[in-house]
Amino acid sequence: MNETAPHFTPPAGTPPIVQLRGIAKYFPGVIANQDVDLEVHPGEIHALLGENGAGKSTLMNILTGIYQADAGEIIIDGYKREFASPQQAIAAGIGMVHQHFKLVQAFTVAENIHLGWDDTPRRASAAKLERRTADLAKRFNLQVRPGARISDLSTGEQQRVEILRVLARQARVLILDEPTAVLTPAEARELFSALRNFVAEGNAVFFISHKLDEVLEISDRITILRGGRKIATEKASDCDPRMLAKLMVGRDIVLDDMRARPQGAAPVSTEPVLSLKNVTAKGDDGSPALHDINLAVHAGEIVGIAGVAGNGQRELSQALTGVRPVTSGQIIVDGKPMGGRNAAAYAAGGIGHIPEDRLHSGLAPALSITINAVMREYMKPPITNAGVYNPAAATTLSKEIAEAADVAIPDYGMPIRNLSGGNQQRLVARREMRIANKVLVAAYPSRGLDVGAINTMLRYIVELRDAGAGIVLISEELEELLNLSDRIAVLYEGRIMGELENQNIDIDEIGLLMGGRTQSTETREVA
Amino acid sequence: MFGNWRFQRLPSAHPGVAFAARAAAVIAALVFTGIILAIAGANPIELAAEVIDSSFGSSFGLEDLALLFIPLILTGLAVTVAQQIGTWNIGAEGQFYLGAFSATAVGLFVPGPPALILVLMFFAGIVGGMLWILIPTLARAYANVNELITTLLLNFVAALLVYYVSTGPWRDRVGLANSATPRLSAEVPEFWGIVHWGLPVAVLVVIATAAVFTFSRWGYEVRLSGSNPSAAKYAGIPVRRHLITVMLLSGGVAGLAGMLEIAGTVHRLQGGISNNFGYLGIMVAVLARGSSIGVIFSAALMAFILNSGIILQTQGLTTSAVLAMTGLILFLTAIGDELSHYRITREKT
Repeated sequence: MNETAPHFTPPAGTPPIVQLRGIAKYFPGVIANQDVDLEVHPGEIHALLGENGAGKSTLMNILTGIYQADAGEIIIDGYKREFASPQQAIAAGIGMVHQHFKLVQAFTVAENIHLGWDDTPRRASAAKLERRTADLAKRFNLQVRPGARISDLSTGEQQRVEILRVLARQARVLILDEPTAVLTPAEARELFSALRNFVAEGNAVFFISHKLDEVLEISDRITILRGGRKIATEKASDCDPRMLAKLMVGRDIVLDDMRARPQGAAPVSTEPVLSLKNVTAKGDDGSPALHDINLAVHAGEIVGIAGVAGNGQRELSQALTGVRPVTSGQIIVDGKPMGGRNAAAYAAGGIGHIPEDRLHSGLAPALSITINAVMREYMKPPITNAGVYNPAAATTLSKEIAEAADVAIPDYGMPIRNLSGGNQQRLVARREMRIANKVLVAAYPSRGLDVGAINTMLRYIVELRDAGAGIVLISEELEELLNLSDRIAVLYEGRIMGELENQNIDIDEIGLLMGGRTQSTETREVA
Repeated sequence: MFGNWRFQRLPSAHPGVAFAARAAAVIAALVFTGIILAIAGANPIELAAEVIDSSFGSSFGLEDLALLFIPLILTGLAVTVAQQIGTWNIGAEGQFYLGAFSATAVGLFVPGPPALILVLMFFAGIVGGMLWILIPTLARAYANVNELITTLLLNFVAALLVYYVSTGPWRDRVGLANSATPRLSAEVPEFWGIVHWGLPVAVLVVIATAAVFTFSRWGYEVRLSGSNPSAAKYAGIPVRRHLITVMLLSGGVAGLAGMLEIAGTVHRLQGGISNNFGYLGIMVAVLARGSSIGVIFSAALMAFILNSGIILQTQGLTTSAVLAMTGLILFLTAIGDELSHYRITREKT
């Protein structure tokens, strides 16, 4: 560890600043946390490491009073506390900076700092608030521009405002949820040095992350969560990336291999049915989200895309289906470049798409089941003839799709949001499978579903592969990817870090790639 | 506090319950108004009898009602059409003025046989309404400028434009009316008393619009785009193109309302010709809940309320009382719509 600030050593007998004992939190059908014990001492930066859904954010939301634990206790400075709201937690000195900032865009920095704060003077001019903000910034050594509007700031600056907001309220425990996800490397270095200064005064930091390198760089100790439970707490100096990756991903992966083809299944084609050549695309905010992606999918095979969510998966699935334009490079379907064509052309060309957020992009929740079910075929006979839409024919097709999906529907005219998530997903899957005679792009097809529904989804995908379609399966469940994929490509920060044949695959290696390490850097740094 | 009784929100309201909630809202609004009138010293029962007698007791009353009905159908439809693509056209008022303005321009300055002029006025009215919504439409489609503000602000411009021409350059210099244009010679013919053919035209426009939205591929795409633009983009639907077409259509329908008011009812352009029909159209559309056919029924209710207001004014009540009544109906309907989503259940503990 590179020490740039003097290290704080608490006097002997000082209780941990935060202690969690047996914390459990259950959501309907999901164990978010169970039996979590954790302690953090003054002067410590403590990292929480885990995959998506490992329970990191839930645990911290319990500590900050956003959720209430179903079991267990929170002990602050040796005293048991209960937080009914974030206000109570901040009063006890615990503040959190969320991954998605909670700032008022139209307000200035000074106004955001003073918003909802008891210390804000009752009568205050803009100049006075800005002066107070400048003083605070100086005290905590965080550079901000008090008079600037939030909407004019870079994400790094916005994050400093969030941190200052929490520190100004006398936080002694600062919780940062994926703080570097939005930062440039230079901004991340600044953040790290500010955090070291903060703990050097006897405070503590919780640092939530899934990036192995930065966790090793910044933290004193590391707690690994998996499936809502604590797996281990280790000193950072005793850890290496390979070991962390193994702990994070877990060894106990149940293999229910679905890669074997039944007799009569379509063979894997020699020529790719879909290929990406040096594809680059922008995210919603205009910044590059995909860098130089090369990928080939053959008919009759499943290509898995592994990676922690938010590393370009959404953009990749949209680029593959024509929803998001590519800024450079080529997408080739069946030997024909698709340059400049829209999503309808991709769908007409036999590319189905199960989007990652079905309610927001795959369905119109307020419209009827029929309207949603025919979204891919409404423009063709028998539903539309010469521009005339036939609602009766639409309902007939909708019934056909619902039967294939094995969903019982009392009324096809009712809004589709009335159906359960699993049923919605099955309808979307069946709708897409009908048109996906070349390629199906399935983004997180099992997200939010229960075990039964997940099995159905995976069975559908295998069925389509055997029928001769190429499948791109984007998932955060390694188990799912290992069970289905013929090859696995790992996506990290919009780049494909590596592509592995799914035979005797080294799970640790996938973990390393997911954490942003390529094999070459890993051997160099660990050796 | 509520014992074991629990409110449970249902994802969608039962149609019967929804209808009952609306009926209850209208009745409650009338009762409230009656109470307020009673407090103000009037006799609500007598007034109600007077209103019903004047509205439905004679052919004259029904004719007056019909003349209010025509523009309300069309302005209500204009707002409903815009809602299909997820936008709020608050500018039906301005588009109504421009439709009236353009039709008047043709009627005053284009020579020709009245039948031909009438046809030209018809199209001029529609085009006038479309032109008035063109800038808000393009601003929304290409720069995502909120159409609520732009369409609303253009209303004031349109009202002042009409006021200016009707008291200035186009003023009738021969007749007695000093603040209006001369009477136009081309007229929409009448078929029942003073009620003109604009009524069946308006109803036909509603039916045609409803049919297009329900029974065309284009209508399907518009409904999907209006309900969830991201899903429409996912399906490859040209959302922007549909947005532009639908908003222009909305403006055209409001413009037609202005043309019919000029050519069928008032026969000359004057300041305040819109009679707030554009704004009342918003309320008609809200009551119709996005259904084009529903516009006919809610426009009828609105026409009755307006007509009642006129009758009540002859009985010495102010316009404010009538405005309060319309406001109450809208307010209570909103509450009724929300409440119809709830079911009260008793939990066993």
